[in-house]
Amino acid sequence: MKTAKILWERISSFVYPVAFGALMLILWETGILHQILGADTFTLPMPGRIATIIEENFPAIMTNVWATLIVALGGLTLGSLLGYLLGMAAAIFTKWGKGGLTLASAFNAIPIIAIAPILNNLTKDVSPDANIRSMVAKILVVTITSTVSMSVNAYRGLTELKPFSLDLMRSYAATERQIFVKLRLPNSVPFIFTALRVSVPGCVISALVSEYFAEYIVGVGRQIRENIVLAQYATAWAYITVACAMGIALYISLLVFERILLKGRK
Amino acid sequence: MNRLNWRKFFSSPKWVTVVWVLGLIVVWEIGATIVAGVKRTPENVLPHLYQIIGSVFSTQKVNGTQTATQIVLSNAWVTLERAGIGFVLGAAVGFLLALLMSRFTAVEKMVFPYLMMIQMIPILGMAPIVLAITKDIDKSRIVIAAILTFYPVATNTLSGFKAVEREKRELMYSLAASRWDIYRKLLIPYCIPYLFTGLKIAAPMAITASILVDTLQGGGGLGCMMSQSLKHAMTIYVFWQIVFLSAIIGILSYQLMVWLEKLLSPYPKELRGNQGKKELTA
Repeated sequence: MKTAKILWERISSFVYPVAFGALMLILWETGILHQILGADTFTLPMPGRIATIIEENFPAIMTNVWATLIVALGGLTLGSLLGYLLGMAAAIFTKWGKGGLTLASAFNAIPIIAIAPILNNLTKDVSPDANIRSMVAKILVVTITSTVSMSVNAYRGLTELKPFSLDLMRSYAATERQIFVKLRLPNSVPFIFTALRVSVPGCVISALVSEYFAEYIVGVGRQIRENIVLAQYATAWAYITVACAMGIALYISLLVFERILLKGRK
Repeated sequence: MNRLNWRKFFSSPKWVTVVWVLGLIVVWEIGATIVAGVKRTPENVLPHLYQIIGSVFSTQKVNGTQTATQIVLSNAWVTLERAGIGFVLGAAVGFLLALLMSRFTAVEKMVFPYLMMIQMIPILGMAPIVLAITKDIDKSRIVIAAILTFYPVATNTLSGFKAVEREKRELMYSLAASRWDIYRKLLIPYCIPYLFTGLKIAAPMAITASILVDTLQGGGGLGCMMSQSLKHAMTIYVFWQIVFLSAIIGILSYQLMVWLEKLLSPYPKELRGNQGKKELTA
């Protein structure tokens, strides 16, 4: 009896969401969802039609996916490195660093939309090629948006040590450098992942939005917008689906990576 | 003021912030000076701060009837109103959903995986399609702001409901409290700090969303004015004013939530248990 209950617990946490998803898909495919939302099949095409479009335009879609992925991951890498360095600097010069980080988290509230056009203007002279210079501008936008969460979390990881561990290190007569390498750095690793959990979905969003404002027309986000301007809603939906898949895939790979790297840690 | 007080003042966090702000202003001005020397139209790239401030107080009409500041403020109102409605709607729906999920395990199992998935989906990328479905820019502003508000509120509030210690619930049962009483006196007060963690994440996002939706279509709003100004349909200083205004609004919206939280749940931090889910606050 008890095992059956536990078994049902396990199964139900799988069955319920799948059933819910299937129900939504059925409602969508049969057009009931359209009636609820008051939409027509032109602006909200059937899932089957979206799938066909993705299949037919696969090479073109992949080109745009690459463009967006380079922007998102390039910006994420740069931003995270910069953020970690800032967090490190703040952990070394605690007094000034903390104030700086408070200010930095205030900047987090600045909409991406305000940053993207500024950077477009700033990078006008980087390269004569519109593709390269808008790529640089887009990567910079993503860099800025992913720096803050990393710097705040790196600072916390480097300073929020286990009680007495610092005293223990001191009692071993460890130098500041040793403390940093052997205690603070390992301590900050889980915090890096905390930051990445925020900035990985964030970097996709910023990449998509920065594409809206970029000079050169490429990328998943830009295609969503361009296709809507052309009233090709089904194609736009195909790109939205791809964008969602990208976000989910990146997040899942982060979780897998975290599992592997933090194995044996809590 | 004696010497000791000065020292206290210089080591206070406020002073540190002031120095940082001053430092940023200096960096900006150096950049602006360099740009002014190199570019033909420096105001498009990086104008001096005093030029931007000057444009705020200038009485020159930029589109026939309004000064730059009047344009910015009247459009800010349109954007903010929609963002506000969406934010309140999204927060209410998110809270209700969290309540349902905490009450019925089946609902939680059904919806929670999708809540996690929404977090990874770039909702802002969907703004144009929402506009196409609702066919009304005001409605789509509200809808997008609501969706963006909804999921941080729902997930954080749910983790608040779950963080209630078992002993407290058992105590309520042993006092023969009704379900309504348990919610009213224990669960809901307990999850308010968690709710605010969600609201603090959502408030700047709702404003970003609203501005982004503006850029998609004419018809007023900060984003719309911003793209017009960038296309040189009016003075570029409108753009710079909007950049600063949106930054200020974003920060203020966060502060407003901090202030509301203090008003609604003024208990000292240690009495509230830990503050929300750490990975969501970041």
